[in-house]
Amino acid sequence: MEIRSGFFLKTYFYRIIFKETFTPQPMELEKFSYDNKIVKAFIIATVVFGLVGMLVGLTAAIQLFYPVFNFDLQYTTFGRIRPLHTNAIIFAFVGNAMFAGIYYSMQRLLKTRMFSDMLSWIHFWGWQLIILAAAISLPLGYTTSKEYAELEWPIDIAITIIWVVFGWNMIGTILRRREKHMYVAIWFYIATFVTVAVLHIVNSFAIPVSFMKSYSWYAGVQDALVQWWYGHNAVAFFLTTPFLGLMYYFLPKAANRPVYSYRLSIVHFWSLIFIYIWAGPHHLLYSTLPDWAQSLGTVFSIMLIAPSWGGMLNGLFTLRGAWDRVREDPVLKFMVVAVTAYGMATLEGPLLSLKEVNAIAHFTDWIVAHVHVGGLGWNGFLIFGILYWVVPRMWGTSLYSTKLANVHFWIGTLGIIFYALPMYISGVVQSLMWKEFNAEGFLVYKNFLETTVQILPMHMLRAIGGGLYLTGAIIMTYNLIKTAFAGSFIANEPAEAAPLVKTETSSGGGWHHVLESKPIMFSVLTLIAILIGGIVEMVPAFLIKSNVPTITEVKPYTPLELHGRDIYIREGCVGCHSQLVRPFRSEVERYDPLGGEYSKSGEYVYDHPFLWGSKRTGPDLQRLGGKYNDLWHYNHMRYPDVVSTGSIMPAYPWLYEQKIDLSQTAPKIKALRRIGVPYEEGYEAIANEHLKIQARRISENLELELQGEGVDPELEIVALIAYLQRLGMDIKASKTAENK
Amino acid sequence: MVLSIAALAQDAAPESGFWKDPFADPMFPLYLVIGFVFVTAILVILVALYMLQVLNMFIRKAAEERAEKLGITYAPEPGYWSKFWDWINGFRPQAEEKDILLDHNYDGIRELDNHMPPWWKWLFYATIIWGIGYLIVYHVTDTFPLSEEEYAASVEKAAEQKAKLLAANPPAVIDENALVYEHNEEMIKKGRTIYVTNCASCHMPDGQGSIGPNLVDDYWLHGGSIKDIYAVIKNGVQEKGMIPWGPVLSPEQIRDVSFYIRSIKGNTPPNPKAPQGELYVEEEPVPADTVKAGS
Repeated sequence: MEIRSGFFLKTYFYRIIFKETFTPQPMELEKFSYDNKIVKAFIIATVVFGLVGMLVGLTAAIQLFYPVFNFDLQYTTFGRIRPLHTNAIIFAFVGNAMFAGIYYSMQRLLKTRMFSDMLSWIHFWGWQLIILAAAISLPLGYTTSKEYAELEWPIDIAITIIWVVFGWNMIGTILRRREKHMYVAIWFYIATFVTVAVLHIVNSFAIPVSFMKSYSWYAGVQDALVQWWYGHNAVAFFLTTPFLGLMYYFLPKAANRPVYSYRLSIVHFWSLIFIYIWAGPHHLLYSTLPDWAQSLGTVFSIMLIAPSWGGMLNGLFTLRGAWDRVREDPVLKFMVVAVTAYGMATLEGPLLSLKEVNAIAHFTDWIVAHVHVGGLGWNGFLIFGILYWVVPRMWGTSLYSTKLANVHFWIGTLGIIFYALPMYISGVVQSLMWKEFNAEGFLVYKNFLETTVQILPMHMLRAIGGGLYLTGAIIMTYNLIKTAFAGSFIANEPAEAAPLVKTETSSGGGWHHVLESKPIMFSVLTLIAILIGGIVEMVPAFLIKSNVPTITEVKPYTPLELHGRDIYIREGCVGCHSQLVRPFRSEVERYDPLGGEYSKSGEYVYDHPFLWGSKRTGPDLQRLGGKYNDLWHYNHMRYPDVVSTGSIMPAYPWLYEQKIDLSQTAPKIKALRRIGVPYEEGYEAIANEHLKIQARRISENLELELQGEGVDPELEIVALIAYLQRLGMDIKASKTAENK
Repeated sequence: MVLSIAALAQDAAPESGFWKDPFADPMFPLYLVIGFVFVTAILVILVALYMLQVLNMFIRKAAEERAEKLGITYAPEPGYWSKFWDWINGFRPQAEEKDILLDHNYDGIRELDNHMPPWWKWLFYATIIWGIGYLIVYHVTDTFPLSEEEYAASVEKAAEQKAKLLAANPPAVIDENALVYEHNEEMIKKGRTIYVTNCASCHMPDGQGSIGPNLVDDYWLHGGSIKDIYAVIKNGVQEKGMIPWGPVLSPEQIRDVSFYIRSIKGNTPPNPKAPQGELYVEEEPVPADTVKAGS
């Protein structure tokens, strides 16, 4: 172990944390072993959660043309299982695969066993417990509603702790290495650890209301900016950088070829991590985010094309001279398609960040297609390739059936095509239908539902594609189990290497090569590179008042509306309904024909969290208040298909049985006041009285119309109606005030 | 991407409402023919490419045989494509690989000291220049419109177009003050279509009422004359949740729906909602030959 830093404090710090010893070592080979057991555990978790996550995804896909497929259970409605699907795939399937790959490759690249077996196992079980907590809490409706960060605050804290354990173990291993320089894969692992830690902590800031309920620290447009800075970079640093690292290890290994260009590795690594962070606002084009931030999102997305492609090129060019083997070896086949899918998705992403393209694609199935090219193609296929390569090696045998692996490859590829193509078509068709005006200047498809019904056949094809992909994964599972049973597991793989001697002089090879031998300096530089973009975009957006012009008529939600909003969050309504009318004539005409107002950032100042959504499976709801009467909502939430024939919205019968928890009103008010919502001091004492008055008014109004049927004012549906009827009313009030 | 662009081009062309019933659209045969020609063209190109490959193979075979006869090893001349490929990527011949092999060795993984592909470098520079240019034209020189200006321009353009359309063929003025019910089958049929997509949700498909009042009985909350019906559809009744359709439907469409609603008066659908409002007695004499339209 070597430490080159001259700072006493730093050295002292290392010694405490990493049990540092500095005894000089003789130059003979040391015997040690690689820990395969931890890799095996992560591999099993990868396969199991992969199957589960895909199955949940397939269920959600079927619900989008056959809504009863939730069996009218609240725990399986689309709004709740969509986050379950995304979390299961991202954090359980891809996450476990990433850890398996990192634990396997890092030990070998650094010529040492992991720093601490105990930390490895705390990491493993901690992560599985987090997944279990997610699998229980999401169907129960505990969600923050922020995409890919839905888990509530206690689980967020657990994630932070386990992530630190992972990082500690990783950096400890790096510091204990027998290889002087860190290979490019390790750079990507470091970037992953550092950035995900920053993203997770900043985005998860929230004020707890109770155990399993919290409100985002940020509101409205600022919450949106933080969320998409996180959301975009979760894709970058959880789905991309660790997998580039894995590609840099497993692809040259499987192809038995040298990496094409060391220089390209350096340039694309640093440019990728520096530029990626800036691109988050491209998820918020035409939103109320200030224009300067939107433009930064666009230009940095375009500048990201080359850094992303650098990874693809270095992967594909490494195969120069091995292409004949690609035809035969399923491992290489999976990897080639994975790297190609990565290249396609990282070209498409920047193009989607152009305003003109985004205006068509955003909120539609096009985005769903885009993320699945990345998810199914890049992450999925790379994982499959790695598993087919690593399992036979860890069990000391060869793959049970190359033929089955080839079948998996073709079924999987077909699945991706059947998934992506229909989604591209449905996205564009629906978007153009939303925007189509007739010669007289009226919308052709006035009823949103007409555009939904049009694309249902595409949703069916998509489900077939997903089904094919899942079938392939099942075939792989069988193949891997058979392989494992045919061999015998090598729990501790023996290895030997010379210890690292402390040398004062660098071995030359350029400044970057020197940097590769200084892990702490490397990590600090990485941290600086990823902080710049976020700081430049977020600090002004938070500090400069003119970025969010205030609207005096915008008032905090009433206690009943607050309860209704929390039900809206719990049911995952945001998964299908946006609350953002973009400044397009077609959207203003559709969603606010009377007022003629697109969304303003001042409307959202009390929205903790923001609920803009990212997909319009149903219509936008930001101007819903007053459009229909209470009875319409009352009937529609219970029998959506009867009120809107052909609707694919699920029914919510439990809202007519469950009551709101009045004891939570005061904590909610208090929590929101602490983060800046101007409820008067002491309002929580009388909040429930106000709540009851408003609830009674709604329930009496409903009873009058329902002719005989009683409506308990404390029912959840009453609170939800109060919230839905509030949406967009403030801006209407501001217009009336203006006219006076 | 290519496919989605193709879909975009196809979808942008059709007249309003193409997707409602593509098969009935007058342009449908044209699209079908274009699609057919397109597919055929692709097939022809594929076959031609395949033939070229076969020809190439024969040529290579012949060259190999000649080389064998002369007793020299056959080294094919690289094609234009592969020369071009090597050139834009800055590839070095694989035989020279050992010269650029770095002394790195990570668990058996070696690294080459290849140049970065030239085209890739240029792409990177180009995107950076483009990015700087983008920020300048949008935020420094204000040459191109930001979202608000874009919106204002599109609204202005739409208003202009509408004014032009109105000037070219001024429609008969339709409003609630002068409307007289006529039993026009054509208008009623159009009205029914609009009713089914937009009104049936609250008033039910047969007008028996549910969330909204019954439309087939003789009782009306806001007046039962054709003028009243037109006015309620156009202006809505906000406090009761009746949507004002004036900004959404054209005057002709509101007239057609009004006529349709008037035409189903007296029908007896199942499960009617109890009458609400006041009895309305027809003032205008209904033509004797009236046939009940609608369901």
